[in-house]
Amino acid sequence: MVKIGIPRALLYYQYYPMWKSFFENLGAEVVVSPPTTQAALASGSSRVVADTCLPVKAFLGHVLALADECDYIFIPAIRSMKPKIYTCSKFLGLPDMTRAVIPGCPPILDIDIDMSKSKRKLYQAIYRLGRHFTWGPFKVRRAAVAAWQAYLDYRRMMSSQRLTSVEAIDRLSGPPAIVPVRRAGSHAVERQPEQPPPRMTIAVIGHPYIFYDELISHRIKQRLEQAGCRVLTPQMLTGDELEAATARLVGRAYWTYEEEVVGAGEHYLTGGVDGVIGLMTFGCGPDSLMMDVLKRRAAAAAAPFMSLTVEEHTSDAGIITRLEAFIDMIMIRRRARRAPQTCA
Amino acid sequence: MEAYLGIDVGSVTTKLAVLDKGSEVIAHLYMRTQGNPVATVQRGLEQVRAELPAGVEICGVATTGSARYLAGVIVGADLVKNEITCHAVGALSYVPEVQTIIEIGGQDSKIIIIKDGVVTDFGMNTVCAAGTGSFLDHQAERLNMGIEDFSRRALESRTPVRIAGRCTVFAESDMIHKQQMGHRIEDILYGLCQALVRNYLNNVGLGKEVRPPVAFQGGVAFNRAIVKAFQEELHTEIVIPPRHEVMGAIGAALLVRDEVSISGRASGFKGFGISGIKYHTSSFECKACPNVCEIAQLSHEKKVLARWGGRCDLWERNQGN
Repeated sequence: MVKIGIPRALLYYQYYPMWKSFFENLGAEVVVSPPTTQAALASGSSRVVADTCLPVKAFLGHVLALADECDYIFIPAIRSMKPKIYTCSKFLGLPDMTRAVIPGCPPILDIDIDMSKSKRKLYQAIYRLGRHFTWGPFKVRRAAVAAWQAYLDYRRMMSSQRLTSVEAIDRLSGPPAIVPVRRAGSHAVERQPEQPPPRMTIAVIGHPYIFYDELISHRIKQRLEQAGCRVLTPQMLTGDELEAATARLVGRAYWTYEEEVVGAGEHYLTGGVDGVIGLMTFGCGPDSLMMDVLKRRAAAAAAPFMSLTVEEHTSDAGIITRLEAFIDMIMIRRRARRAPQTCA
Repeated sequence: MEAYLGIDVGSVTTKLAVLDKGSEVIAHLYMRTQGNPVATVQRGLEQVRAELPAGVEICGVATTGSARYLAGVIVGADLVKNEITCHAVGALSYVPEVQTIIEIGGQDSKIIIIKDGVVTDFGMNTVCAAGTGSFLDHQAERLNMGIEDFSRRALESRTPVRIAGRCTVFAESDMIHKQQMGHRIEDILYGLCQALVRNYLNNVGLGKEVRPPVAFQGGVAFNRAIVKAFQEELHTEIVIPPRHEVMGAIGAALLVRDEVSISGRASGFKGFGISGIKYHTSSFECKACPNVCEIAQLSHEKKVLARWGGRCDLWERNQGN
């Protein structure tokens, strides 16, 4: 059976169930790279072209981890997912960049997704991808319809049951088939939070490929949960909720990922949570603008908001201090509200 | 007499403060960490003990600062608290009406916004340490002058030169360039102070509304030239609270006092005697998975007291007992 490798990075967290369904319906086997390790990040960093970002470095590390484990690597070039709403240039050049910096990589299966163009163009692109496996257009069509359904189910599952991407992927298909590593990462050793009712609810806003990557995010989710917080993410909102919130704050989006940052931020800042944390990597242009929009919005709403910037620092100390201070601030504010000004 | 001890172990300096039940500071200490937090805490305890009047009993001890967990294990802390909360609590005890706290330390700089005595927002420098105390220290050293001379001479400046403050590497090359052009050293120094202040307000203070009264604390507040530059930039009076340099330690002591008075628990303080104990710190790379975490450990007579640094709790679970 043809083995297709999918890097566990960047858009994986958004579309993996869709891609998996498509390839499996065409009779291929899908393998996923193991969670990001320091070694993978280092190998990816050694390949990048100048001026790229941490998530892209991690992505290349995942491609390298898959290189000897599969027949093809799937790297889509996603230009737009909604008409006239574009993705970051690093996404649309991803297959070409990967080919250029990892010459020994297995053949790359790529597909241009550009929803700003006609539906016909999209169907042609999907058929071109499917032709690697079958000549039958109806078979490709069936696989594409099933893939779209898998995607809708996945989204619905996350928003209706308030699941994170990782939880939803595990439930939908069992944990993905991981290519063998010396030993499964520490990620398996996840402590179940023992304290039952959470002290507070915190929304972490940012791209899924930052938030769910435990190495890049310094395990922010687990850290918050261990501190007794319930953690909400942009993926737990429906497309309509995101769109409405984005429209309220900035009008029409230009970046695809404006919804999961600006829209989700606006949604959570206006109610339902005790605090919002904006998570971004250093040197991301669109994020630095979007986080600023949120910062202003939070100030106007007098809602607790903190933006956290991560880079290649390996020390967790800076992140821990900021998270602790943020939780303290929320607790102090809450206490002050309950016991109004008896003494100064 | 009941007393409470706060220890703030920062990247560059270590601060200790002992407070009595009525928040009065009985003893305080400000010393360089010199890259060895364990030995510095031990030395600090010894010096503080010598300063304390007879009959003082430590009923609670709290640690803060970037080495708070390490220091907490050594002294047997009852409370380990982040430095933002400690600085806010400390400042509020001296300047109750404070609305903005500026704190510039060795590696970190912070801004804390307070409304009606409650922290409503805070900011810290992002990924780099540009414009913090260690940079000023380094420049003073490069110009071969003590940090005290730095401040005195910078205040003599008449026509400060403009220095790029966005990044310390740029700032340094800018400074050298201006030196070579023949600008007066006083003007370069004050220009540097202005650059640091600009960088702080545009980076740490970005999007934060700085309302008076503004309290300025941390070691850098000793530098009167920086204070002057802040005053000029913010057009407002800057309050330097007494003992501003140990404010984090004071805040920690206040917090542990409140905590102990509520819980009524006996302190876990290991006593001033620990200054004689030989602690050993070491580190190793965990090979259990491809993450290859750097694990640091603290031990005493081959018994491991604590381990840190893993992405999972493999080593934290297996410590010493």
